[in-house]
Formats: sequence, C-alpha cells, structure tokens
Amino acid sequence: MRGRALVSLLAKLGGLLLTLFLSSIVIFSALLLTPGDPVATLAGGKRPTPEMIAAIREQFRLDDPIWLRYIDWLGGVLTGNLGESFVYKTPVGELIGPRIGVTLTLVIFAVILIAVFGIGSGILAATRGPKADRAVLLSTSIGMALPTFVMAILLIWIFAKMLGWFPVYGGGTGLLDQIHHLTLPAISLAVVYIAYISRITRASLVGELSSEHVDTARVRGIPRSRIFRSHVFLNASPQILAVSGATIAGLFATSAIAEQAFGINGLGSLLTEAAARKDLPVVQIISLLLVAIFVILNAIADTVNALIDPDSLTSGRNA
Amino acid sequence: MTAAVAAAGALALVLSGCTSDGGTDGDTAKPVDTDALVTALPAATKDVDSVTWGLVEGEPLSLIPGQDYNFVSPNLCTSLLTLNGDFTAAPGIAEKADWVNPVTFQIDLRDGVKFWDGNPVTPEDVVYSLTRHWKDVTDAFYGAFVFVKSISITGDNQVTVSFTAPDSTFRDAMTGGSGAVLEKAFSEKAGKALGTAAGGVMCAGPYKLDKWTPGQDIVTTANEDYWDGAPKVKTLTYQFISDGATMTNALLSGDVDGAYNVAPSSRATFESAKDGKLYLGPSTSSFSFGPVRDTGLGANIKIRQALNLAIDRQQYIQTVLHGLGYVQSTFVAPFSWSGSPAADTYQKAYDALPEPKVDLEAAKKLVEESGEDTSQPINLGIPAGSKELSQTAAIVQSAAQQIGLTVKIEELQAADFSAIFVDKDARGDLDLISTVGYTETPGVLTYPQLFVLPPEQGGIFNWTGYDKPEVTQLIQSARTATDPQAAAESYVKAQEIFAPDMLQVTLAGAYHTTFLNNRLTGAVTSVASYSTPWAAKLGGK
Repeated sequence: MRGRALVSLLAKLGGLLLTLFLSSIVIFSALLLTPGDPVATLAGGKRPTPEMIAAIREQFRLDDPIWLRYIDWLGGVLTGNLGESFVYKTPVGELIGPRIGVTLTLVIFAVILIAVFGIGSGILAATRGPKADRAVLLSTSIGMALPTFVMAILLIWIFAKMLGWFPVYGGGTGLLDQIHHLTLPAISLAVVYIAYISRITRASLVGELSSEHVDTARVRGIPRSRIFRSHVFLNASPQILAVSGATIAGLFATSAIAEQAFGINGLGSLLTEAAARKDLPVVQIISLLLVAIFVILNAIADTVNALIDPDSLTSGRNA
Repeated sequence: MTAAVAAAGALALVLSGCTSDGGTDGDTAKPVDTDALVTALPAATKDVDSVTWGLVEGEPLSLIPGQDYNFVSPNLCTSLLTLNGDFTAAPGIAEKADWVNPVTFQIDLRDGVKFWDGNPVTPEDVVYSLTRHWKDVTDAFYGAFVFVKSISITGDNQVTVSFTAPDSTFRDAMTGGSGAVLEKAFSEKAGKALGTAAGGVMCAGPYKLDKWTPGQDIVTTANEDYWDGAPKVKTLTYQFISDGATMTNALLSGDVDGAYNVAPSSRATFESAKDGKLYLGPSTSSFSFGPVRDTGLGANIKIRQALNLAIDRQQYIQTVLHGLGYVQSTFVAPFSWSGSPAADTYQKAYDALPEPKVDLEAAKKLVEESGEDTSQPINLGIPAGSKELSQTAAIVQSAAQQIGLTVKIEELQAADFSAIFVDKDARGDLDLISTVGYTETPGVLTYPQLFVLPPEQGGIFNWTGYDKPEVTQLIQSARTATDPQAAAESYVKAQEIFAPDMLQVTLAGAYHTTFLNNRLTGAVTSVASYSTPWAAKLGGK
C-alpha cells in the first residue's frame, strides 16, 4: 500500500515536471510568434539605423533558430538567469523579485477571506435551514456576477471616497500599513471566489448530509457536531480542496485587475504592462511563473487529498 | 541632411495613459479664462521633508535626456541654459551661451558648478554630452546638431560649437535635453547601462538620483550644492501610476502630492478638491490626426480638408478636454513662439489663418472633388487605453459619416503604436493616426519640419510624399537665418502655403494640467516642465 502510494506520488511529480516543461515550450514559442518585430521595442521608440537593428538582432540573438534560443532560455531559467528586460534593460529577476512579495501578500489575504467567508457561508447554507440557505444563495449569486474591476470601483466609492476608511492607492509599507492598503483590493479579488467556494462547499456538504453513513451515525446516536466534523466535513473536504487549488492559482492571474485599479506594483500589473510594451522576456518569465504556481498548487491539493483519503491516489479518484 | 528633433520621440511617447474617468461631472465644462493660465507658481517659503510625485506617463524607460521624455530627468540632468516657465531662456550650467558670429556658438561655463559626486563640470563633460547627440543619428536630439561642424574646448571654462551654416534653432535647443550635461567619466564607465535603473546617471541638477527600484519608484534627494540654491523639498519620490482614475484617486486622497498631465475628464473632481488644486498652464500640446501613407483616402489633401470642415471644435473641446483646451488654427501652437523676439510677426500670421469652423456643404463638395472612391473605409489608428484619443476617434468617425465618409477605428497596443513611427510595415493599411504632440523647447520650426520637408531633409513624418520646393526652401532659410525677424518672415510665408494642406488636422490645443497638494507651491506649470528643473523651486507654503 505504502509503496504504491509512493510510486504514484513520484508519477505525479514526473507529470508535474512534464507539464511545466511542455508549458515552457508553448510559452516561449507562442510569444515569439506574436506579430510585431521586437526591434521596435528594443529601439526604445527611436528611429533605428540599419547598424542599430543589426546590433540589436545580434545582442538579443533574434536571428538564431527558435529551438536554439529556447534551449538557451531554458538553461538560463534553470540556472537562475531569467534574461534581460527589453524595455528596462535590467535583469528580469530584479524586476520580478520586489513585486512577488506584494502580490503574494494580496493573494494570501484573499485566500484567508475566501476560506473564512466562502467555506463559512457554505456551511451556514447547508446546515442552518432554508432561510439561511436562501440568503446565502442570493448573496453568492450577486457575488458571482460582480467582476473584480466592478467590485474595485464599488469598494473605492463606498469605503475610500464616501467613508474614507481605506486608502485607494499603493501597497503600503510595514505589515499593518500593508494590511490596511490591501484590504479593499483583497476583497475585490475575493468576492467572486467566495461565492464560488460557498456554492461548492454547500453542494458537497448537502450531498454528504444525505448520505447513508451519516444516517447510520445519526441512528447510532452520535452527537450532531461530531457527525459533522468527522463524517460530513471530512468527506466533503477533498472536493473543496481540489477547487481551492485552482482558485488560488486563478487569484494570481486576476490579481492584475485589482493591482491596476488600486495602483499596486505587483506581478499582475507588471505582466499587463510588459505585454503592452512587448517586453517578451518579462512576459515569458511571469507566464511561466503563473503556470508553475497553477501546477504546483494543484499538486499540493492532490497530495493533501491523498493524506485525508489515501485511496484517492490509487483508486483513480483524482480531482 | 536629416533632422530628428525632439518632437519625433515626443509624438510617439506622449500618449498619456489617461484611461478612465475619475470624475462625476455632468455639467457643461466652463471655458478657461486665458488670463488664469499660470507658467509657474509663487515661490515656496518652507522646507519640506518629502514629496511624492505621480507619473501618469508610467515608468521612464531611461533617465538620459533624449532616450525618453519624462518629468524626472530635467530635475537630475540640467542643461547649459535654463528654460523659464514662460518659454524664455536664462543662464544655466553655462553662464553665457550664444552666437558670437553667424556660424560660431560660444559656451562659457559657470564657475564652480559640480556634479553630485563633487567633481567640477568641465568643458570635457560638455563636449562629451553634446557629441552624444551630434554623432548618433538615432538620437532624439540629433536634429538640433545637423549643421554642427565641430565641438571643441577653447578655454579653461569654454566650449565652442562651429557650424556649417547658421542655425536659428540651436540656442533654444540648448534649454532642453539637447543641452543637458552628463559627467563623462561616469557615463563612459556605465556604458550601455547608463540611464537605466542599474546604471543610473551622474549630473549636476538640483536632485541626485538616490534609488530607482524598477516597477516601484524612483527616489531622488536634494542636491544641497546646486548652483542655484538647495531645493526646499529634501526627498522627491516618483511613483508610476499610468491609470488616470487611479491617479485622480491617489491625488485626492493625498497619497500623491502632485502630478502633471492629469486627466481632463477629472476636471470637476479636481476643481472641487479640498486639499489640492488644479493648475492650468500654457502648452504647445495639441490633439490631431494625420496621414500615414502616400496612397488611400488619407493621402488626399481634399479629403483631409473635408474632414477638417466636418468637425465641431467646440464640441470636441467640451467632450474630450472638458473645456481645458482651445481652438487652434494650425498644428503649431502659439505658445511655441511666446519667448521669441519676433513673436509679433508669428502671431500676426497666425491670426490671419482661417479659424476652423464647421461647413458640411463645403466639406461634401470637397469629398466629391477629391475623386476618391468613398465606399472604401478610412482606417484610423489610435493607441489602446487612451480615453481622450478613443473619444477623438469616435468624433472623427461621426463627423466623417455626415459628409459621406466611413471611418474605421483601429486600436493598437502601445508597442504597436510606437512602432508606427519607426517602421513602415507597422503602419500597414492605416490611413490616419490620431496623436497628441508637443514640443518641449521654444521654437516654431521644430514641429512642422517633420511633416513638410522631404524625408531626406528631416521630414521623418512626411509619409504622404509631400514635396513643395517653395516650402522646403522657405523652411530652410528660416532655419539658417541669423536674424530672428528674418527667420520669422520666412517661416510665416511657408506656413501660408502648408497650413491649408492639413498635414495634421488639428482638433484642439490642450492646456498643461498640474494638480498640486495645497501644502506645496513653486512648481513650473507650463509645458516647459518637460525641459526645466521644475522641482528646483518646489516647496512648502
């Protein structure tokens, strides 16, 4: 049993690496195939002379075959050399480094909100009778319909402009100030996912509550709270977890919108800007980073699932 | 001869990211009383520890003057001459810089000016800095140096520039980035990294570059040894806020103390602000559209004249600029000559130009006379994300419809749009593009010669093959005139011929906008802020 689980885990790890490898090929080639000559970007809005164009092509090896450039790039990424930004002419690592922190804080903040309010309201809807169920259903319907940027505008309007409780701009410095600055962005980012997780939680709990073993437990006279903890919630959690993995990865991608609206210098706003400026090396690394986060989070969700329910690994009940 | 003057880069780069509305104004915007325009704010009296300045243009690409246009570099790397807010020139790093004969320009350096590292500014540094532009045809300021024959050291504190022909534009150019002085030793050591976050710069301006964290901010500190006195603001931090609405919020909440080029659409919000004020200054900036190829409807003068007659300027200024602009009769803004000794001549000729007005009947007639197949659409390119230019395109589209023309709007990503200026292929099947253009130093020739001269003589935006020998000759004689009055006379004669050809259809002149927190004063508030150390006098009230 143990051995099989280990083999299975290793297979998963292999799959993870393969996914990352294939993604890196797709990311690298897709961006090279986009229209527009990077020379225009590299010339920095100036009128390049033929000599300048030749120098740029040579320096950034634009005339080498794609596969050679890919191998070079991948080799660089694996050894920590992330390349140089076309626009800033500085190492990509230096651009990304300072921005990861604020995006990470923002995402963690949002995850906490999603976990507390999403799972909390889902439990409420499933266990506190039809009135609570309807109330949660209604609010999650509204929540799901509100895209991040609309939420951002609403929050700025109400809590920053009318009430003046929160700042409207920047990421803040120091932990308390950061929390103060990131509250509105985190809420605007979390709302859609809170609604989503709430629905998932409710659905899986309702399914478990009406299952046979819960009925049996009830008949045996086990207290309700214990039934809920050790039977219902534990059984429902793999499904909730699986969705959560994808949710957190999604948060990294949508953080761009919240970062833009609140003037936060994070990864998302860097990606948006780099894409608009055709800064390929930066776009490539951030895209790869996002894919990696996505794949790794899913793998973590799977592993945690396996710890809760070891059969999931071998029985093919993968989420 | 080629001439790639400052405006070349400017046209491509000044597409400020004013993307969305931060205001709630529904009322008709009031016109601006031109007497209320200010070029500089009253002097500051108090020291201030720190000021945060917002850059709506986004993060600078480089701090080397000419590599990028931004409001940071003029405070770091100052020029031989200083530009005042009203577009007049004053001494700068040079105590005196002027013509000693028609082909010799002499620069006498001020005694005791030091770079931030304590090294004195020497004639070698000046020669190095000027030669950078002179020897590099891709340099944005190359155009200012096309008649230069040699740049040499002629004394302990003196540099002399010799010319192959007189150049009436050179002295004005020395007030801007063309005349900025960088330390030679530092610059050569920095090599390719010069001006970037990694390499930095070494200059003699009122602020020293302290730390540039890419994507985060640029921190600068007061140069206590600045030749014109220590700045009152001790730490000046620049933040990059390319979203117009976010900028408005940041300014109103006091997170950011000031910014230039704030969104006209936020005018009402700014005017009702309690902690800060919106200042309007004169500018050379204008909104326009123009042709980008020598075939198709856009290349036909009659079609451009027809469009010119179909657009309601008053409505345009209301809708796009929320009243913060004025009707401009040709593509060179009157502020360009405000500091010139021949200003009267320019103004008289400008006043004689017909003021644009709506005449749909005449416009339809012109369309008919053009002989063009009007069933084909006119492709109008604009950069994505600019609210003002997207409104501009919509207005041009509906005006065109009234006279039987179809305009198709194409939004281009920022990088694709800037590629239009350097790459013929990037223009593709576009007929017209709409832009905001400005010149950041005085002089009327800078801008029009890009459009009216043949390409090999410096008409780098002359994409329609416009070629009128008389215009070329008059522009060249204006440039090589030794007397400002003679230069003005040649220029206005040329203008009479090229103005009706609508190489740019000017929609409106725009005022320079500045929003500043009430605790501050002293900043330059005209378009000169692109060239002048505008923060040198900034401080507390």
